[in-house]
Amino acid sequence: MDLFGNLGKIFNASLIYATFRASTPIIFAALCAAITQQANILNIGTEGIMLVGAFTAVAVSYTTGSWILGVLAAMMGGACIAMIMAVGHIKYNSEICAIGMGINLFAIAITKFLMNVIFHTNGTFSDPGIIAIPRVHIPFLDNIPVLDTLLNNWCFTEWFVIIFIIVLQYIFYKTVWGLRLRAVGQFPMAAQAAGINVNAMKYQAMLISGLIGGLAGAHLSLGYSTQFVENMTNSRGFMGVAAMYFGGANPVLTAVGCLLFGFADSVGARLQAYGFPAQFVLLMPYLVTVLVLAVSMAIKLNAAKKRESSLIVHGTR
Amino acid sequence: MNEYVIEMKNIVKTFGEVQAVKHGEFTLRRGEIHSLIGENGAGKSTMMKLLYGMYPINSGSIVINGENITKLDPKIAISHGVGMVHQEFMLVSDLTVLENVILGFEPKKGIGIDYEKAKRDAQQYIDQYNMEIQLDKKVSQISVGEAQRVEIIKTLMRGVEIIILDEPTAVLTPQETRKLFEILGNLKAEGKSLVFISHKLNEVMEISDRITVMRQGEYMGTVDKDKTTPLDLTKRMIGREVFLNIDKTYSKIGSTILEVKDAWIPSPKETSKIRGISLHVNEGEIVGVAGIDGNGQSELVEAITGLRRVEKGNILLNGKDITNMSPRKIRDTGLAHIPEDRNTRGLNRGISIENNLIAVQIDESSFNKGIVLDTVAQDKYAAQLVKDFDIRPTDYKTLTSSLSGGNAQKVVVAREVSMKKKLLIASQPTRGVDIGAIEAIRNTLEKAKKDGAGVLLISAELEEIISLSDRIIVMHEGKITGELPAGEANENNLGLLMMGGMTDTSEAGKGAVTL
Amino acid sequence: MKQSVKGLVKILFTLVLSLAIGAVFILAIGESPLVAYGALLKGAFGTKLGLGTTLAGFTPLMVTAIAFAVAAQAGAFNVGVEGEVILGGITAAYIGVNWGFLPAPLLYLACFLGAMLVAAAWALIPAVLKAYYQVSEVCVTILMNTVALYIASYLVSGPMSAGTANPQSDPVLVTLPAIMKPSSANAGIFIAIIAVIVVIFMLYKTRWGYKIRTVGTNPEHAQYVGINAKKTFIYAMLLSGMLGGLAGCIEVLGVHGYYLDGFAKDLGTNGMLAALIVKSNMITTPFMAFFLAVLKSGAMAMQQSTGVPKAIVDTISAVFIIVATMEFVIQIKGRHNKKQKAAVITGHPMPEQEKPETSKKEE
Repeated sequence: MDLFGNLGKIFNASLIYATFRASTPIIFAALCAAITQQANILNIGTEGIMLVGAFTAVAVSYTTGSWILGVLAAMMGGACIAMIMAVGHIKYNSEICAIGMGINLFAIAITKFLMNVIFHTNGTFSDPGIIAIPRVHIPFLDNIPVLDTLLNNWCFTEWFVIIFIIVLQYIFYKTVWGLRLRAVGQFPMAAQAAGINVNAMKYQAMLISGLIGGLAGAHLSLGYSTQFVENMTNSRGFMGVAAMYFGGANPVLTAVGCLLFGFADSVGARLQAYGFPAQFVLLMPYLVTVLVLAVSMAIKLNAAKKRESSLIVHGTR
Repeated sequence: MNEYVIEMKNIVKTFGEVQAVKHGEFTLRRGEIHSLIGENGAGKSTMMKLLYGMYPINSGSIVINGENITKLDPKIAISHGVGMVHQEFMLVSDLTVLENVILGFEPKKGIGIDYEKAKRDAQQYIDQYNMEIQLDKKVSQISVGEAQRVEIIKTLMRGVEIIILDEPTAVLTPQETRKLFEILGNLKAEGKSLVFISHKLNEVMEISDRITVMRQGEYMGTVDKDKTTPLDLTKRMIGREVFLNIDKTYSKIGSTILEVKDAWIPSPKETSKIRGISLHVNEGEIVGVAGIDGNGQSELVEAITGLRRVEKGNILLNGKDITNMSPRKIRDTGLAHIPEDRNTRGLNRGISIENNLIAVQIDESSFNKGIVLDTVAQDKYAAQLVKDFDIRPTDYKTLTSSLSGGNAQKVVVAREVSMKKKLLIASQPTRGVDIGAIEAIRNTLEKAKKDGAGVLLISAELEEIISLSDRIIVMHEGKITGELPAGEANENNLGLLMMGGMTDTSEAGKGAVTL
Repeated sequence: MKQSVKGLVKILFTLVLSLAIGAVFILAIGESPLVAYGALLKGAFGTKLGLGTTLAGFTPLMVTAIAFAVAAQAGAFNVGVEGEVILGGITAAYIGVNWGFLPAPLLYLACFLGAMLVAAAWALIPAVLKAYYQVSEVCVTILMNTVALYIASYLVSGPMSAGTANPQSDPVLVTLPAIMKPSSANAGIFIAIIAVIVVIFMLYKTRWGYKIRTVGTNPEHAQYVGINAKKTFIYAMLLSGMLGGLAGCIEVLGVHGYYLDGFAKDLGTNGMLAALIVKSNMITTPFMAFFLAVLKSGAMAMQQSTGVPKAIVDTISAVFIIVATMEFVIQIKGRHNKKQKAAVITGHPMPEQEKPETSKKEE
């Protein structure tokens, strides 16, 4: 089979949706990390928050038969986990990476445990009783060839993520809360001197981060798929953190970083069908992120060096 | 109605083991400028931070506008009309000036911020006090003087009646200081009450109505400006003539040990960049570098010691070019260095006195047996130094984090001086240490000189510079504004040079001007 | 001395607390915690197979835990141990399968050296990025773990594949002898113990160790006293990488005899866990690794004999780590005052000078 002869089948309109579809769980995760990053907390626990959300969503959707309750419960679950982290980090001085890793391990273990206990199964829990997040069917697109592929039958949360990116962008850069959050993250003493309760802001950021992380999980287990699999987040939380770095915690730029992951993911899946070692495509986004991190830091350092230089005369003084 | 808008009585404040304020008293009348003076570490800033609610007091009482305040944080302080302009500006550098000004008190429109209204309000104050502020720039792009005006606008926007200014002139050029004083005059005329923290007597005498003196955390009295003299204030502030009693010996001046030739050194702060500096130190002399903190002294020291890169020019140690060499190689060439910040640089607080004492000699064969560290030799060495330098506690296995400021500094001094290097750089060697330790440390420097080392002493304490140095260099905005023998130096002529006097003040320090 | 007693008390307290939380979970599903924990201990120590499995699990865990801890001593948070184990393992497998021209003793050596070299080279990347470009090593190593996983997975399902249904390599020509058949415990445990002792010795008794610890506690001070902080940081990461590679090599040569895709799953993570619980203290880290190995190996027996799912064990270890990272003041009667003071100090890290240390313009 000639790989290049099939390029047209790999890179076509459906790839765009496939990319977006693969990106959405990561975008939610990245936004979960971005909000705490604005308060200068590196949310390594994103992965764990998301996994707990995914499990809770499935469990509640299955037992109540309502996807809405499932999603809400997932958000509550995510918030609870995030608050454990928040209390540990803010009140008891836990090193954020250490407690974040602890949270991730806890999430894997507790979901596995509960799956055993509640559903008496190992590995995967899927059941017709799990009610998924509905897809948005737009009837008049049915007959328009390209747009139908591109836009029809999106999952509800996939539409929501677009709105959500914009909303977060507005909150970060145009609202009182966002301004205070950024001040707390960049120079807490200044924020304190301006009468802002720094710890309260951090708790709020962590709480909201937990809600978003829970939603990310719910989307993964009720929207992206309709099942719960052990450790189903599969590093998506970490990818989200990396994308957040890539975008400097700016929601829009962060989402762009996530699309990169989604693109590699869906291209990889297609290439694999043609005998190309999927591993190489799958590892691309990780390598690219490492490169981007390195290059952006190098540029930053170089700019700082220029600013500090005694040889260059600056206009403002 | 009470005579005072502020009354602070019997204030005590400790940080861990350190008593920052042992007994503080302070009162403020409506519409006056009240200066709070004292040396570094006297507790002035701490007193005012307590008033502003940055930390809780241990004991004492704070009364604002006749109301006894039991619970205080910056927000409550502001609501009582107290604002503070901090020495280290409390501005977020990645936010715009306007965002900084409204932070914490943002006008709202719906759920967003009403930037239009914010801008109008801020502009009104800017115009009223004639302040020159660019609201749309990022803080990282404005000058120090402008940043300070932003801080003042910030407090005014919050509707405060009482403004605390913590060493506002420390970072300003003379022109900017003039501008600031005009603004302060306007504020006073408007009926605001001002607290002016400083350790510069000429400024205090110029601007104050009343003056309160603190020394080592203790209240030393309050006087009317008209009823006091600089000499009187100095006595209250320092009150320790004992230090001037160091026997200054004039030992034989030997050959040049350190030579800095037209060095250009970078810095994040514009006023600390060094654009061409030249100086030399000879064996057997102490060269003092005087200057207000942040005028390039730290950068100069870091460049000589290999901790900061030199962009142009040369540094020679013992005749050898050491420009941009590693700190290790420079030390091996003959340098000992007492750094200005013992907590982050001078000591590794997490390890013992002993380990700190041998830190720079860890690779020496005398402290290693093959590949293994020779703990016996280390113990012996540490025991000797602890005894010689009277470091307490004498158990050299104690962690340095538990030492008092004075003993911690003695560990640094012992480590550096005992190696008998040809050049000793001592940066703020007695900052924040107790009287006994100050005397011991100064005597040690004096002895190093007698033994033939060249000493470069950097200090913000004029009295320390004058009493120890043979020759004095004054730095201002990264340049040398003057050099004179110790015999000719006094507080007045040094003070003038530190303010950038004598050279062409109108354009000095702007742009890349080579001396 | 007092410091270490305090640390020990805290670990014991944390241990009891996490076992108690585990007990609550067990009670919640209607089982008896005592019976469950008893079954766990019996499973881990009761039989030769059980003890052997415990030791087999302990071997790599001890090495990865020390690998994490040694990097942490220099101030690095090396999540990348797992990737280093994987690449060490695949390198050992490649050499062990293909370098049959070497006599057996040299082949052993080549496997170990090759594994350690490749793994160290892998660790060099995040080390350099951190030291010279300040890129977060946490992020980079997490990402690189996945890259390592895919590289090895490609190799054993493609060029190095044995042609079996499972992605795995051909059997290696030299293996480490088993010591407690039928368990997979093997002579690798002695290599691991020696390696750990050597590393601990180096860290506390030699000047290289002194430098690593200095850089880890205060890099600015290190630079000032003439230690090259960047290079030292990189050396520590290299050492950490070598240990990761060693663990991978022991697993391939000792446990499996070939490279099995996914063999390293959670080896790095659990090692990190063990180190984190004791704040990367080099002496106590191996003991914590042993404790975790006991939990892991006893878990299966517990599940079989009591109906308590073995996932409870992971839950307990995760709770253990979460609690262990927190710095609370343990109130011991009579020492009440002193402790409170300590809390105040950490709450307000103000130096004796008036100026706050934080600088205004941090770039």
